[in-house]
Amino acid sequence: MIAQIGFSILLAGVMVYAWTEYRRAPVIAILASLAATAGLYFVWLPTHATRLAALVGIGRGVDLIIYIWVVISLILLLNLHLKLRSQAELITILMREIAVANARTAESSK
Amino acid sequence: MTADKKKEFDGGSIWIVIAAFNEAAVIGPIISDVARRNYRVAVVDDGSQDATGQIALAAGATVVTHPVNLGQGAALQTGIKFALQHDASYIVTFDADGQHRPSDIPRLINALAENKAAYALGSRFLGSSHGMPFRRRLLLQAAIWFTRAVTGLRLSDTHNGLRAMTREGASRISLRQNRMAHASELLEQIAASGLPYVEVPVTIEYTRYSLAKGQGLADSLSILFDLSVQKLHR
Repeated sequence: MIAQIGFSILLAGVMVYAWTEYRRAPVIAILASLAATAGLYFVWLPTHATRLAALVGIGRGVDLIIYIWVVISLILLLNLHLKLRSQAELITILMREIAVANARTAESSK
Repeated sequence: MTADKKKEFDGGSIWIVIAAFNEAAVIGPIISDVARRNYRVAVVDDGSQDATGQIALAAGATVVTHPVNLGQGAALQTGIKFALQHDASYIVTFDADGQHRPSDIPRLINALAENKAAYALGSRFLGSSHGMPFRRRLLLQAAIWFTRAVTGLRLSDTHNGLRAMTREGASRISLRQNRMAHASELLEQIAASGLPYVEVPVTIEYTRYSLAKGQGLADSLSILFDLSVQKLHR
């Protein structure tokens, strides 16, 4: 029970994070929400996880939950990459303004 | 920018935008050749570590300098922004590595006027190319198919840096891909703009120098990744 509550708090945190990211990266937010929802479902209904795991050839239900967690981690990693790209775009805009404002000709450099 | 400084740059309505990164070995004669035809030349020195900027200045270009290297896409967008701010009626993008011929520029500009097009895209497959390796030809063909699938544009050449655009066309371009994926992004934006475009036969001269600066298979995969990832965020 303690583990279930702990996992649920973590997964709920992932869902909240996904909602906050929706405006900027909707695809990431939807994927993370789906994965977190699946995680919550299997944390509270582990027998379903075991049955589904056997069905798709994973083995144990707990392995399925671990796989879902790995998927969530990869999605969040991708989101970090997107945030870095957004930062790079802002830096580019800033540098462009600086560059254009300081354009030089041979005459202006004398 | 001060009023005096702005006035100094004004005067020419056709701007040739050249993105350059560490091109000191070749850029001087290229700029001289373009500038003597009375075009205004804007070289975007993309954080070069060599004397590219000084050589471009001495050859008669206006030099816009990125403090650090951002990539060809970022440099072209900077050049387009600069040219639009300085009353460009037409903007031509031109490679710094000597692959393009200045004599093709008037054909691009004329094609815009004759076809009432917003974009004139150079095509080496309608024109000619000298010294193109077989592997490069295969890569370019793959890029043509990819562009048709993604944008619906039926072009014969999709990664040719020699292109011209009207002021209206240029103002619709806003490149976010800083590096090599900008060529595909630009075509996507042309398709999205709905403005007319035309292909123009041009000549591309491959040299050992330009081939060393060109793209390989790994770059193509990187371009695919960049284009895919951009669709995931705003």
